[in-house]
Amino acid sequence: MATVDLQEVNKVYPNGFHAVKDFSLNISEGEFMVLVGPSGCGKTTALRMVAGLEDITSGVLRIAGKVVNDETPKERDIAMVFQNYALYPHMTVAENIGFALKLRKMPKANITSKVKETAEILGLTEWLDRKPGQLSGGQRQRVAMGRAIVREPSVFLMDEPLSNLDAKLRVQMRAEVQRIQRRINVATLYVTHDQIEAMTMGDRVAVMRSGVLQQVDHPQVLYDHPNNLFVAAFIGSPSMNLYEASMSDDAAAVRLGSQELALPAADRDTHPGLARFGGKKIILGVRPEHLPAANGNAAAEAADSTLVGNVDLVEALGSELMVHFTIDAHTVVAEGAASDDADSTARAGEGVARVEPSVKVKVGDRITFAVNTAGLQFFDPETELAIWD
Amino acid sequence: MGSRNRKGWRRVINGVNISAFFVTLFIALPLYWLIISSFKTPVALGDSPPQYFPSQFSGANYSQAFVQYDFGIYFRNSLVVTLISTALVLVVGTLAGYALGRLPMRGKFTLMVTLLMISVFPEIALIAPLYLLERQFGLLNSYEALIIPYTAFNLPFAIWILRNYMLGIPKEMEETGRIDGAGPLRTVWSIILPMALPGVFTAGIFCFTACWTEFLMALTFESVNSWRTIPVGIAEFGTPLEVPYGTIFAASVVAVVPIGILVFIFRKFVISGLTSGAVKG
Amino acid sequence: MTTASSAADEPAPRPAPLVGRHDVNRKRMARLGWAFSAPALIIVAAVTIFPILYSVVMSLSNVNVTGNGFSLSGVTGSNYSLVVKNSTWHYALGFTIVYTLITVAVELVLGTLIALVLQRLTAGRGWMMALLLIPWSMITVINAELWLYIFNGIYGVMDAIFTAVGLGHPNFLGTNDPAIISLMIADIWKTTPFVAIIVLAGLVMLPGDIFEAAEVDGSSGWSTFWRITVPLLRPTLALAVMFRVLQAFGLFDLPYVMTGGGPGTSTTSLAILGYDAMFKNLSFGPGAAVATTTALLVLLGCLISLRTFRVQVGKEDS
Repeated sequence: MATVDLQEVNKVYPNGFHAVKDFSLNISEGEFMVLVGPSGCGKTTALRMVAGLEDITSGVLRIAGKVVNDETPKERDIAMVFQNYALYPHMTVAENIGFALKLRKMPKANITSKVKETAEILGLTEWLDRKPGQLSGGQRQRVAMGRAIVREPSVFLMDEPLSNLDAKLRVQMRAEVQRIQRRINVATLYVTHDQIEAMTMGDRVAVMRSGVLQQVDHPQVLYDHPNNLFVAAFIGSPSMNLYEASMSDDAAAVRLGSQELALPAADRDTHPGLARFGGKKIILGVRPEHLPAANGNAAAEAADSTLVGNVDLVEALGSELMVHFTIDAHTVVAEGAASDDADSTARAGEGVARVEPSVKVKVGDRITFAVNTAGLQFFDPETELAIWD
Repeated sequence: MGSRNRKGWRRVINGVNISAFFVTLFIALPLYWLIISSFKTPVALGDSPPQYFPSQFSGANYSQAFVQYDFGIYFRNSLVVTLISTALVLVVGTLAGYALGRLPMRGKFTLMVTLLMISVFPEIALIAPLYLLERQFGLLNSYEALIIPYTAFNLPFAIWILRNYMLGIPKEMEETGRIDGAGPLRTVWSIILPMALPGVFTAGIFCFTACWTEFLMALTFESVNSWRTIPVGIAEFGTPLEVPYGTIFAASVVAVVPIGILVFIFRKFVISGLTSGAVKG
Repeated sequence: MTTASSAADEPAPRPAPLVGRHDVNRKRMARLGWAFSAPALIIVAAVTIFPILYSVVMSLSNVNVTGNGFSLSGVTGSNYSLVVKNSTWHYALGFTIVYTLITVAVELVLGTLIALVLQRLTAGRGWMMALLLIPWSMITVINAELWLYIFNGIYGVMDAIFTAVGLGHPNFLGTNDPAIISLMIADIWKTTPFVAIIVLAGLVMLPGDIFEAAEVDGSSGWSTFWRITVPLLRPTLALAVMFRVLQAFGLFDLPYVMTGGGPGTSTTSLAILGYDAMFKNLSFGPGAAVATTTALLVLLGCLISLRTFRVQVGKEDS
């Protein structure tokens, strides 16, 4: 039985804004579910509805099997970690963690022991008598989690808890959060706008856009098998390169600008639906990591599935080279999928490839990529849906 | 700026410091006169030209104020009225300030502005009906005679200050409290109030000062000697023919010192209160 | 959307907007808000709104004060006509307005100067501000007694100073104009520090980089003051002026103690006039008329001062 079960939940604000549309999701016991999407997509609203901080306009919300639409947050047995931690500044760490227990009239001795236990799990034991103002960002975050853990709730809710931390600390805390969640094994709904967090932390990831759930799957499935253009462009960094293209009449090759990419039979078999698009326009998606350089390997260069581009910019990262190139095809932008990172290439024909650091390439060169055709994605330009069967 | 280049005592002597010195004189001289006059004998007080520094220090004025002029009674009355009014204002005002600052009420802004407009009404306009009403209900010459109006008149400003402080508290505080299971009163008491404590001090000190120094209503509602507060008591010391300045000043010093100390201790709050009332452009 | 446009002819009809159980929580919170505000609102309304209205009613009827109570009879404008025809009222009106204008103007200028000095003070600013608070916290009656003593014609220190300087023995409180001036001095001494604090607090809050930019642009002291400081200080100054105008109109404590409204009626403010009418002559009708007209003038004063400084009250509402 799922611990959290949302069925066709909607949120419409008094001014008519429809923030969350027919949202259905279930989270099993102990599962770490990440809800990800660009700002304003409704993910925080969905989370707050589960918490009870926002009313549910229509649909059913069940927690541990019980319908809880009308119950107050306290009655729902949930715990929440806010983006700004919301620690009580005038209380010590111990008092912060124990506050909810005190409200439930738990005997003092019990509260003390539970607080100590929780502090140990989080490594906060020596800070119990300090006030939040004396702690660092990471420590405050752990206190916020401690406050949630100590209540042993049925559901953990987290609203972008790592956004306020600097980059290095964020990476560290990602692992911390996962470790703690695994230890206490409570169903968790984690909201973030950062798809890297989503991919690294979630057992399953739910992608949301403009109030509508796009796809819910294991991270690897989302990467390999996105259902639509938005999910494909949103997941993965740098984003997938998307081009306007068309299929050859026999649907055995893809025409990309002036170039043609042959599709091996194996790949045609995995995408039987392509047959319907013979001679028609499609959108082609190719991830930067599926564009290794042919690099002087004559055989690879002569193969049918190659792509040639003009190099605009080369970024050396040490572990790889990011080659920004152009081809004479039109790029496609999936609205809303561009992340805050600087890798949104919106100009015509541009793309990014990740190649081996040993490749000798500089600005102005022509580079040949040995396209990994197994990783290609195809989309119907009208529906934006992925083409599979 | 230029004074940084000068050395030693020359550094201290510049336009700003000289002006500051004169400002200090401006304020301190009359205060000095008040204090030393309280220690002068009646003869010395009538001296012309006056003794700029008393030749003889006498504490007689002080004992006279308490023994002959009932100043102790006035002091007690002022203290009772002021403390109770302030306490009431803070309790009632905190709840109202919280509601008007953080709860979703329709028209709360209009309500706030109306409250403020009411509070600027000149006392003279209200004194007559209040007097007649209190007279009718037999409230004259009692503590309630002043406590009720003092509470009412100080509430709007206190609510304004408290509300402003509470507005600065992040919304997540209440939400966390709700999730932890705190009811509304519990939230105000355990979460909001501790965080708005500076506002409470500010409102408190303003209310205290206003009640302590109020004259018109005290004059009108407490005509019987045993109920008088300090301002009225001092004003009525002696007769038009014989004004006992020494005693008056002695009583004044006793009246000024406690509130002066309070205001000094809480000066940060007073100053922030004077600015938090700033109208937004 | 993708750059390839959709081929649909026209959009499908939008489904009717969902209507559900909105904001039950919000309504609950709103009711709580009213519950929390109720005590304050009731107290204030009972003690202020009701008497205000009653005052207006009183001013329009004949008031008879009896042993234990009072009665109102009739609706009449006679109180107002009595007041408006009364020469003392004319004087009191003029006196109060002029008094207000002069004292507020002087306090504003002096207070701003003091604030400017304090702003540049490096050491001891905290102590200076504490010192400024003392006159503010003093009981006005005490202040009045102090200056009454200082201005005493025989043994007051002001008399001694005037004699020493060779200006003779003016009768400070016994002659019309000197009495008014003496009152003003007492008021100014007590209230200028208050204005100074408000202005200083406003100055301190001004962002420093604007002044640095002005300095770089070559603006001198005075020019910076008028072109930058004053406009930025407008809201603060407006606040200070408004507070003071309100206080000044209710002028009562000082004349009551220092001059009793005299000599003659030369320092009879509107509040003194009203008080005397009601509690010395027991004519509550006319007294209420004086009180009501004073209140109206105060409101007018507020509006004018707000308009003069072109300040809008901030609008933040849910």
